Amino acid sequence: MTGTRLIVGPFNRVEGDLEVHLDVADGAVRSARVNAPLYRGFERMLLGRPPSDALTLTPRICGICSISQSAAAARALAAAGGHVPAPQGERVAALIHAIENVSDHLTHFTLFFMPDFARSCYAGRSWHARAVDRFAAMEGAAARQAIEARAALMHILGLMAGKWPHTLAIQPGGVTRAPGPRDKVRIAASLAAFRRYLEDVVFGGPLEAFAALSTREALMDWETGDAGLFLRIAADLDLDALGRGEGRYLSFGAYPLAGGHAFAPGLWRCGARYPLDLSGLVEDVSHAWMLGGPAHPGEGQTLPDEDMREAAYSWCKAPRLNGESYETGALARQVIDGHPLARDLAGGGVLARVAGRLLELARTQGLMEDLSRGIEPAARFMDPAPEVREGAGAGLVEAARGALGHWLRVEKGRIAGYQIVAPTTWNFSPRDAAGQPGPLEAALVGAPVAQGDETPVTVQHIVRSFDPCMVCTVH
Amino acid sequence: MAEIETFYEVMRRQGITRRSFMKYCSLTASALGLGPAFVPKIAHAMETKPRTPVIWVNGLECTCCSESFIRGAHPLAKDVVLSMISLDYSHTLMAAAGHAAEAALEETIQKYKGNYILAVEGNPPLNEDGMFCIVGGKPFVEQLRHAAKDAKAIISWGACASYGCVQAAAPNPTRATPVHKVITDKPIIKVPGCPPIAEVMTGVITYMLTFDRLPELDRQGRPAMFYSQRIHDKCYRRPHFDAGQFVEQWDDEYARKGYCLYKMGCKGPTTYNACSTVRWNEGVSFPIQSGHGCIGCSEDGFWDQGGFYDRLTTIKQFGVEATADQMGFAAAGVVGAGIAAHVAASALKRAQKKTQDKEEV
Repeated sequence: MTGTRLIVGPFNRVEGDLEVHLDVADGAVRSARVNAPLYRGFERMLLGRPPSDALTLTPRICGICSISQSAAAARALAAAGGHVPAPQGERVAALIHAIENVSDHLTHFTLFFMPDFARSCYAGRSWHARAVDRFAAMEGAAARQAIEARAALMHILGLMAGKWPHTLAIQPGGVTRAPGPRDKVRIAASLAAFRRYLEDVVFGGPLEAFAALSTREALMDWETGDAGLFLRIAADLDLDALGRGEGRYLSFGAYPLAGGHAFAPGLWRCGARYPLDLSGLVEDVSHAWMLGGPAHPGEGQTLPDEDMREAAYSWCKAPRLNGESYETGALARQVIDGHPLARDLAGGGVLARVAGRLLELARTQGLMEDLSRGIEPAARFMDPAPEVREGAGAGLVEAARGALGHWLRVEKGRIAGYQIVAPTTWNFSPRDAAGQPGPLEAALVGAPVAQGDETPVTVQHIVRSFDPCMVCTVH
Repeated sequence: MAEIETFYEVMRRQGITRRSFMKYCSLTASALGLGPAFVPKIAHAMETKPRTPVIWVNGLECTCCSESFIRGAHPLAKDVVLSMISLDYSHTLMAAAGHAAEAALEETIQKYKGNYILAVEGNPPLNEDGMFCIVGGKPFVEQLRHAAKDAKAIISWGACASYGCVQAAAPNPTRATPVHKVITDKPIIKVPGCPPIAEVMTGVITYMLTFDRLPELDRQGRPAMFYSQRIHDKCYRRPHFDAGQFVEQWDDEYARKGYCLYKMGCKGPTTYNACSTVRWNEGVSFPIQSGHGCIGCSEDGFWDQGGFYDRLTTIKQFGVEATADQMGFAAAGVVGAGIAAHVAASALKRAQKKTQDKEEV
């Protein structure tokens, strides 16, 4: 078979727009180029504004992970002003952030990822009827249950954050809402209901039992709930081998609290963990329609190349750490945090990424319950931070999809520099000057493509296994 | 044109019971502020009218409108609305992908020519011939014009489609442009907010589908039933405003007492929306209730009014420059001054009241 060129896109059921260009030869992808075709220019609009405006503007980069953006902006402002948030405020911020992240994991699994297994190309498989029944797009039973459970869980966001998406409650000094004893009870009740849903529907068993799985083999023996259905499908289609990563992971550390992060920060490469050091971080623009040279986000700029030069193919910059690309997301977080199951899955493909997300879903429920139990209504939830006049700082958080950083520079009370590197910027980055592909581009190589198939389902699985958020990628 | 099934038939096919259907009709009537007499009318309309197809397209945006929409009010209303509109084409939720998706859009346009509602989330960027937002290899603005040509009416979801929203913030790097400045020959209903409240979205769409006409619009093209009152008018903290009791700093004693957030930059007094009545996340709360002022996200230009934490009266642009927008600024200035006067008057009244109380003692 001779080589063919495929353009897969627009991609539906991802947040935002995405196009993937594939060179196919001998029934498999030989090389891939990922294009983020949407640019809005947030980093440029922030220049010259009062620093606190970032708290309102940056969440609007993304309607899916607005709390992550808001948490990163608040952290960056606090860092620039040398301010420490009130510990209880930090706790509530962690709780509402965790709620957004688990909601995202649930939405991804139920509405975006699983519906592909209900496609007619899988009609002969033993699990197909069940997949259709549970997950057919917009009709499957799972979607309704998930939307309902998620909406009920988000009552906590209503309560503590006023509204979601685009919450305003998180500030550099803590949160604007001090929960009373009654709120604490309501939060606990909402969390209990969500646990019931997860245990009845998603996992079909105790969350602690799922979180206690420590090997790939033990994972594959999990039979109950929608997780069990996924694992059956994964075994049948060998999703572990599909879209394997390069085994380099990055996490900024999730839920910073007075006693450290709930999920540890760090790097994972060559099978070992290293401390997080971002001094070697640059954003490469050799294949992005951006002007300027490679720069650390602390000094970087965003200058779109309006000529859209031929050598480039995406609006997305390519973040590299010490010259290497890194994959980020739930799997990365769990590997770096040291969970034995995640470590066993490290370097894996579609199965590893989706199982990493399920594992985190199970573990985060317990974390949210702990956070809510530790709320002390009499404490202070905000230690107000004065507006920053001069300074620079980074806000590093973990969104559902991975490491999110805001780098802020303030001069004379105005924003003089603002650079954002989002999780999908890492995962879906284009090539760098050395020609090294981004993580998705690398993962797509070797994916089988049937002759004449214009929207290869394998490519869909791999792309979605990263849970892309394109509106964040280029902002 | 092919026979289109009725709403009721669609709902039945989706497994919704007669009882749920009737419940839904009463919910809708009350949500839209219509009396119980309208319940049978709504039911009759839905049993006999062919379903109105909806095409939902996405431009420059953040998907917050879709996120808000799928979390709609009553679980029942959400189920029914989702099944009712069936979203013949929805980028975020549909099953088809790639070329199949493009084909589905084209087929829907052809099949329901002149009869479908086009729901737009986000807006087209016009700089560089629209290259900052590409859908299916073409600028979004082309998809928008194409889909709008045969639409019966257009819904502009959210601040992006209605006004431009944050991506239009100065210097508006991509020249993000609201829908009504690109499509000028179709009825457009604006449902602003960032995002709009889920119940407002389902309410508007239900009204249009049920009664087959646009709801009553205000001068800005917003449905009057949800946008005719200021947040301030129905704010539960309003008594504190009138009493001159304000939060001075985040989480201070007054914040714990639930005093008014005006001094923290609340834009409730100049913002028309239903947040203080309908509230958010299934009626649980709204920003002011969580201790943060309103930022006025359903108002045109909310993103470029000086700092979000500036008090309304100190908005810097007032009267600074004479530009083409002078009239608009001047009007806004009057509102600001009005508020200052309003605060002063309220405090004054309180003082008088105190004096009177003393005299009575």
